[in-house]
Amino acid sequence: MLLPTTLILLASLVQAATLTLKNSRFNITSKDATELRAEPLSVTEKLSSPLKLDRTDILRLTFQVVEKDNGNNVQPHQAFLRFYDETTDEEGIQPVRVSNTGKGKFELNMAKPPTSLPPTGSAPLRVSLLIGSFVHSPLKVELFDLHVPASHPPAQHTEEASYHPLPPLGHTFRPEQKLPPRIISASFTGLALAPWLVPLVLWGKVAPSTPRLFSPHILPFVTTLALFEGLLFWYWIDLRLGQVLLYGGILALPTVFAGKHALASIGERRLGLARK
Amino acid sequence: MAPKAAPSSSAQSQSSVQTLWSAYSEQTPDRLKFIDSFLLFIMLSGVIQFAYCVLVTNYPFNAFLAGFASTIGQFVLTASLRAQVNPENKSEFKDVSPERAFADFALGSIVLHFFVFNFLG
Repeated sequence: MLLPTTLILLASLVQAATLTLKNSRFNITSKDATELRAEPLSVTEKLSSPLKLDRTDILRLTFQVVEKDNGNNVQPHQAFLRFYDETTDEEGIQPVRVSNTGKGKFELNMAKPPTSLPPTGSAPLRVSLLIGSFVHSPLKVELFDLHVPASHPPAQHTEEASYHPLPPLGHTFRPEQKLPPRIISASFTGLALAPWLVPLVLWGKVAPSTPRLFSPHILPFVTTLALFEGLLFWYWIDLRLGQVLLYGGILALPTVFAGKHALASIGERRLGLARK
Repeated sequence: MAPKAAPSSSAQSQSSVQTLWSAYSEQTPDRLKFIDSFLLFIMLSGVIQFAYCVLVTNYPFNAFLAGFASTIGQFVLTASLRAQVNPENKSEFKDVSPERAFADFALGSIVLHFFVFNFLG
């Protein structure tokens, strides 16, 4: 019973413990190993003057992670260096190996920069150290600003285009079709009506006699046919499809009976004449 | 020889056209002539509408479709009526009396006109 409570107590104590850095410093050496700059780093304050690296310079960073209260060495579970360019919002995260004595080392050789270094312009990179541990509060240390030679501009991200508003959808209408000039229209109207002369003239010559057209046997059929044509004409002018089908259906019945009667009487007459 | 043959053949064809025409006008019953003149009218009307569509404009296209389709359809219906009522073809259409042919013609025309007016817009 005692053990778990002490464990919990211990855990809560440990949880409260915060981390800090000891002996943190950097140095910059040129290609021929001459030391250009070397200074200690503070956990609380960012270095006032920014660092500058040339194409062949090497930056070395060393630190040791300890507990703030008792100075015990701590191996954190995660340690990262973050390079951040405020102007372009580009950032690079570089994991840092920390030994079990809490000592961390990082080397940035500008002759072959790591892929985690973000694309850079003229603005400095803000370099910070992020340390995470399961049992300690996380630690974030702003180390310094770093000037490095400008890289190529970053390549366009493949999905960049989908993060912008699309152009509004528009519909292009074809220009309104025009009727031809009135003269052409009128002359072709006349031309289209001209063929009516043909039957009117020729029927005058060859019209077969229709003596029984107005006989009560035939007239209803002719009338219903004419009504049908009238109905279709009315459809063109005014009616809707449903109405036409309804009226046509109603009109079809008398037409069928009238037609049957009329044609039967004509047939009888024809056969009768033929027999004579 | 060919140049000489040409005028004589044209004269021959002229005379054969004349023979054809006189045979038609003498031997064709008036009822069939009546139908034929209607067919001629329909054909001319369709040709003019088509010429207008090709030469001037096809706008409004639905009206052209309706007009041209009505001439074509009416020509077909009328031509079949003519074929069925022709006494010469009696052996061909034994079961079809002229009355039956006319009933078919009337029904077909009404259906055709229904579609034509539908398209006319």
